[in-house]
Amino acid sequence: MTALTVLQVANLVLIVAGAVLTVWLRDLLASVVALAAMSLLLALQFYLLQAPDVAIAEAGIGAALTTAIFVLALRKTRRKEEEE
Amino acid sequence: MSPELGFGVAAAVLVALMAISVLRMAIGPTVADRAVALDTVNTLVVTTMVLLGAATGLVVLVDVAIVYALLSFVGMLYIARYLEGGLK
Repeated sequence: MTALTVLQVANLVLIVAGAVLTVWLRDLLASVVALAAMSLLLALQFYLLQAPDVAIAEAGIGAALTTAIFVLALRKTRRKEEEE
Repeated sequence: MSPELGFGVAAAVLVALMAISVLRMAIGPTVADRAVALDTVNTLVVTTMVLLGAATGLVVLVDVAIVYALLSFVGMLYIARYLEGGLK
């Protein structure tokens, strides 16, 4: 087991943590923040898998575009998710 | 200590710091705490990319980190504007 494999596994654990956090948080703005962190770590995972071009695309779409669009959508709607 | 082991240990420490920041994102009481945690993760990811680019000696990998730093800044800018109450 090389050092790169250890990094990849640790990073995958963080990606899953970010995804669970995105679903679990009730404040939708915090959820968007967690989603941004998840896509960020996903880009790092692509980078670790020696796909820097895919990492650039993921950074552009995930970090900039998705966050901006979700925040703009939140501005038009409610921020808090209702408890059932 | 061989250079490869040194780079590996440094990258492992950075990923451990990322885990601590994700923990803060989970328990952070306010959204501002979570936004700062996201910015910390951003910085740590860029640092890890530059570190691994230096370890492999490929300049193209550093370009990814530069693009990444720019785009993560734009994303944080949107969240900060929303928190401040702007973005009207």
